[in-house]
Amino acid sequence: MEVPAGFLIVSLLLSCFVASSYGVYFSSLNATLSVTATPTQGQVLKAGEDQITVTWGFNQTYPVGTDSSYKTIKVKLCYAPISQKDRKWRKTVDLLKKDKTCPHKIVARPYAASNNSFTWTVERDIPSATYFVRAFAFNAQDEQVAYGQTTNAHKSTNLFEVQAITGRHTSLDIASICFSAFSVVSLAGFFYMEKRKGKASK
Amino acid sequence: MGEVASNPEKNDRKFALPVDSEHKATEFRLFSVATPHMRAFHLSWISFFACFVSTFAAPPLIPIIRDNLNLTATDIGNAGIAAVSGAVFARVAMGTACDLFGPRLASSSLILLTAPAVFLSAIANSPAAFLMVRFFTGFSLATFVSTQFWMSSMFSPTVVGTANGLSGGWGNLGGGATQLIMPLVFSLIHSSIGSTKFTAWRIAFFIPALFQTLSAYAIFFLGQDMPDGNYVRLEKSGEKHKDNFSQVFYHAITNYRGWILALTYGYCFGVELTIDNIIAQYFYDRFDVNLHTAGIIAASFGLANLFSRPGGGMLSDFVARRFGMRGRLWTLWVVQMVGGLLCLLLGKIGSLSGSVAVMLVFSVFVQAACGLTFGVVPFVSRRSLGVISGMTGGGGNVGAVLTQVIFFRGSRYSTEEGISLMGVMIMCCTLVIMLIYFPQWGGLFCGPRKGVTEEDYYLSEWSAAEKEQGFHKMSMKFSENSRRERGRKGAAAPVQSDPPTIV
Repeated sequence: MEVPAGFLIVSLLLSCFVASSYGVYFSSLNATLSVTATPTQGQVLKAGEDQITVTWGFNQTYPVGTDSSYKTIKVKLCYAPISQKDRKWRKTVDLLKKDKTCPHKIVARPYAASNNSFTWTVERDIPSATYFVRAFAFNAQDEQVAYGQTTNAHKSTNLFEVQAITGRHTSLDIASICFSAFSVVSLAGFFYMEKRKGKASK
Repeated sequence: MGEVASNPEKNDRKFALPVDSEHKATEFRLFSVATPHMRAFHLSWISFFACFVSTFAAPPLIPIIRDNLNLTATDIGNAGIAAVSGAVFARVAMGTACDLFGPRLASSSLILLTAPAVFLSAIANSPAAFLMVRFFTGFSLATFVSTQFWMSSMFSPTVVGTANGLSGGWGNLGGGATQLIMPLVFSLIHSSIGSTKFTAWRIAFFIPALFQTLSAYAIFFLGQDMPDGNYVRLEKSGEKHKDNFSQVFYHAITNYRGWILALTYGYCFGVELTIDNIIAQYFYDRFDVNLHTAGIIAASFGLANLFSRPGGGMLSDFVARRFGMRGRLWTLWVVQMVGGLLCLLLGKIGSLSGSVAVMLVFSVFVQAACGLTFGVVPFVSRRSLGVISGMTGGGGNVGAVLTQVIFFRGSRYSTEEGISLMGVMIMCCTLVIMLIYFPQWGGLFCGPRKGVTEEDYYLSEWSAAEKEQGFHKMSMKFSENSRRERGRKGAAAPVQSDPPTIV
């Protein structure tokens, strides 16, 4: 009974060391898309209220035909380096399927070389951070083949901020405080009852 | 002699379970809720479970909370440390409080005083506030000591190991259950009521808070300190003698074995607490599973407590039958070492299924080590059992603080590196068990000293003046009962038949 279980564990362990490194690397992509967004450098947007209008298109300085494989465009909201600091769940990794820089989807559209724009209301679950916008072009196999972003290669220019909702409501605050007070008051009540029992048993 | 005559009702009292001369139950019936013994068991494990649920309610929701409160990895690490550091001193204080006020009042008070921290978690607005609520909520883990104390008051030595192991293990289960409960409650609120994520997690915290409050009420109204009644009544009628605190405390802190067990408990229970804090986030971030799945995996670690910690306690009793205390010590050493090795391995594995498999085996070993530790603790001291239990329990929390500070704070080590290094530290710190030596029974490598008896060991905790007044009688009874710790071979060793002469 123990041998098969041990064998199973060993084979599981061996299978784990097979690292999967297939996939597209960000460094292999060219910035053939030009992307612009309405927020200016340092502007603060309120989650759930303010809007971003993104326009994107093929950058005509690149040779004609470069975009022949582009089938879809996905536009994303991405963290700037300052919001990634000491937060490894937002880390930039070259292998795109492990990359956590751009978790928030703005829109996905079929590819068109020009005249693309979309107005997006910043969603209520977007956290407070500094951002930029990036668009990826995907081919028919749903792999990234090109990108474009509103900031420079070092991700240091044209960054904007989002101020998130707190998630707090007055009713929640009141309920919280009332229940807390009730706990402490009932404890005082218990001690009082206990003292009375002590006196009664004398 | 006069005492028995003046309390005729004491001997007439009927109990649902068979009892010994102290009215402690000699049998353990899991599915009974009979007053006072089994009811005390169920009240204590359920309330301890509730405290664990509250203390570890945040970790499975960290991916949401960290975005809402703009937490960095350092903030999260600090809050995790804060959650387990409060209980370090609270556990030692709880041992004292149990002696003064009885486990019923001591535990219900602590639980009601920490419930506000859980309610107020719902309105936390910054990393500092988050740290504060986790710190104060963590104090509730001191109910471990009242649980063990209450079981020791209600159950006789033959079943106290089982009672302690089950109540401790089933309480610890809360650390696992919360990883399932909180994401579930969160998604119910988020999808059914339609609250945004940043509001849903706040509402979710009301569930553990209410559960905790209700359990305190249950203890107060349904529980009882001792088989014969509550402390208040027993002290007034003179049935219970109050010991001297400074003496009890002195005899606990001067016993080196208590300190060694506090250290080693830090590397089984402390590691368990650390894993409760980091494991959901680890699976979510490293293997890209969703919140639900990360919660289920993390839960399975804590849920193993259902059988692994009680199993450790029962294993300790089982090896003691043949090999006595030396068997208990060896088993503890081996199980905790293997636990450390598995922890080292856990951090090295890069696949999801492999990680889950190793984590499950690791959880069984590390929790069994906790149960095995409390197979040794009751024998370290008789007079100062409460404080020694509190020190060991507190040491567990110190281990949790240390491992989180060294390995899981900020960005110095990746989480997987931290886990492997923690495994190495477990193995190193477990080596000190080699230093534990009971003169009457031996240690890992040495046998018992010739001519030394259990009475010599336990009665050395009482002074001559105290012995003249007869305060040491329960230690005498305990010495006789603990002779089984010699194991089968030691049955021929010297037995003291006369009261010890004062040296």
